[in-house]
Amino acid sequence: MSEFDAIVVGAGPAGSSSAIKLASSGLSVLLVERADPPGSKNVSGGILWGNELAKVIPDWEKNAPLERFVVSKGTGLLTDDSLISIDFRSKKLENNKTGYSVLRAKFDQFLANKAKASGATLVTGVTVDKVAFKDRKVIGVEQEGDVISSDVVILAEGANPRVAIDSGLREPIGDRDVAIGIKEVIRLPETTINERFNLRGSQGYAGEYVLGFLKDGVKAGGFLYTNKETISIGAVINAADLRANNSTYSYNIMEQFVTHPFIAPYLEGGKVEEYSAHLVCEGGIKSVPRLSGDGYMIAGDSASLGFSNGLVIQGMNYAITSGIAAAEAAIEAKTKGNFSAASLHSYDEKLALNYVLEDMKNFKGIEGVTWSSLMHKAVPRIAEKVFFDMFYETGEPKRHLSEILLESIAGSGMSKSQLILEAYRAARRM
Amino acid sequence: MIILMKQVPDAEEIFIDPVKFTLNRSQARGIINPSDENALEAALKIKDSEGGEITVISMGPPQAENAILECMGRGADRGILITDRVFAAADTYATSLTIAAAVKKVGDFDIIFAGESTTDSGTGHVGPGVAEFLGIDQVTYTVSSRIEAGMLIAERELEDGIEVVSTKPPVLVTVLINANLPRRSRLRLKIDAIKKGVEKWDHDSLNLPPEWVGIKGSPTLVGALKIPEERKRESRPIKLDEIPVLVQDLVKKGIIRTGDEA
Repeated sequence: MSEFDAIVVGAGPAGSSSAIKLASSGLSVLLVERADPPGSKNVSGGILWGNELAKVIPDWEKNAPLERFVVSKGTGLLTDDSLISIDFRSKKLENNKTGYSVLRAKFDQFLANKAKASGATLVTGVTVDKVAFKDRKVIGVEQEGDVISSDVVILAEGANPRVAIDSGLREPIGDRDVAIGIKEVIRLPETTINERFNLRGSQGYAGEYVLGFLKDGVKAGGFLYTNKETISIGAVINAADLRANNSTYSYNIMEQFVTHPFIAPYLEGGKVEEYSAHLVCEGGIKSVPRLSGDGYMIAGDSASLGFSNGLVIQGMNYAITSGIAAAEAAIEAKTKGNFSAASLHSYDEKLALNYVLEDMKNFKGIEGVTWSSLMHKAVPRIAEKVFFDMFYETGEPKRHLSEILLESIAGSGMSKSQLILEAYRAARRM
Repeated sequence: MIILMKQVPDAEEIFIDPVKFTLNRSQARGIINPSDENALEAALKIKDSEGGEITVISMGPPQAENAILECMGRGADRGILITDRVFAAADTYATSLTIAAAVKKVGDFDIIFAGESTTDSGTGHVGPGVAEFLGIDQVTYTVSSRIEAGMLIAERELEDGIEVVSTKPPVLVTVLINANLPRRSRLRLKIDAIKKGVEKWDHDSLNLPPEWVGIKGSPTLVGALKIPEERKRESRPIKLDEIPVLVQDLVKKGIIRTGDEA
């Protein structure tokens, strides 16, 4: 007889959603989190897209600590001297579901407390060493020699899944699986934020940028989200590039981004309140490990269920969806009294049926595009030259766009054939 | 053994309200007062070698329960939270008196460990105050303690050296922050702690006259809290060979004096 029906490792969006579902279905649940309070070690770009949470917290839009509702979405290319951007604003965005900006320290604590209120035993400030095995079946978790037993263990430890790796349940994380994220939270008055981003009330802006000004072959993206009285700004930097360029430091890249002449004015006068760094899942479908086995399931970032196509970054939503799916599989297994790999495989099937694995399969290889030289070097340079030539008054007759474009491509550092090939690949994968 | 523990706001997360001049603790997470962690560790070391039970006593708002559970997760056996609105705004005198009453109610004790001072007020009054109200010996500023033949042997770190004290329990010992390395909590013990729960003692359960506790029982008055104004300081870069010029400059301004004048 196990002490708990289920043990969930990690009280982030995946783990807490899972624990809420399990506990409110009457299962005994232990939710273990190393941070105290939950959320204090977590970092995310901070946009919660969609409505998955409603499955476990129907009134989340009323009660969760949400910052702003995104009505304005920006995508921009930054070079040394220029910002080329498209801002999409639409009344249609205001009516439909897009997403909310959230601050994880508050949001994760809210979710963990919901799990506790649903009946889960929430233990914070403690790490788990590894899962415990008996006859190659997972029978609980182990810490300092103590075994806490359960019928099923759900690993939802985030982007650095130490327990899963140390227990041999997934491959170690490589440079290709993750990027390095750095983020600052900057305090500014609500009215100032509204003025700077052309927003009203609790409307929010979310922008993604290609940091095309970087030298040394290091590629990085930037993000900027508005919260009620703060701005979340950060850089996501390719880990393999960083390793290959010993002289480039992640914090310098962040510094270049926040002091860029067309980014700095957004932040002017603000006070840096938080500074954090974290791994970001970027590996795509090829990094996703075996999702379940005898007595265990892996959810959220731990299972590399995260993705970005340059326009949208998905992490928390997949985490919540996979956490709930794992809980549903555990509840079914409990009814059947069978926690074998065959029984828990229903988790994999649920993920295949909903959009998570579908997205990841559809966008297979997208990481090769979002991290390509085309996106990070050639496109920003070409765009800058095209716009400059079109808008700069020389007193000479205007030339055709095609002429300018060809000339810009010639100056982009990529050959025409290379560019066409990469552009074709990109278009197919986005 | 008894541990006196206070939950304090994490000092890194406190700021002074620029308008009201009060400490804003609203965004700070609650932690075990740092030297209380050392007090607990000192007791746990004795428990490891000699056995015995450890009771943690804390006074504070209901949220302080979390810090008590953390102590139990490290090896304390029982947790008591003295909590009641009537106790609010107590100074160190009323706090010591209230905690001493709780210790008496626990009854059977030999050694009481307390942190040397708290990070949120830093008076260092409460440990010694409790010892006085209980009428027992106290050993302050300790960096180590052990039991030998029924005696407590403790090392006190003083300005002019280490003083070794041998005393017979009951005794109250205050522990310095550099005394030991506090252990981490264990999952098994924390689960047990949550199952066991923390006992809540209110004003009625301590049976103290209302005028002895809380703000009524506190003779201390806080006049005001002020932020000292930051002094503007001049600075300029200097080269190594300009040092004599700089020295002359400082002498001229009366900031330093030469040996000749002295």
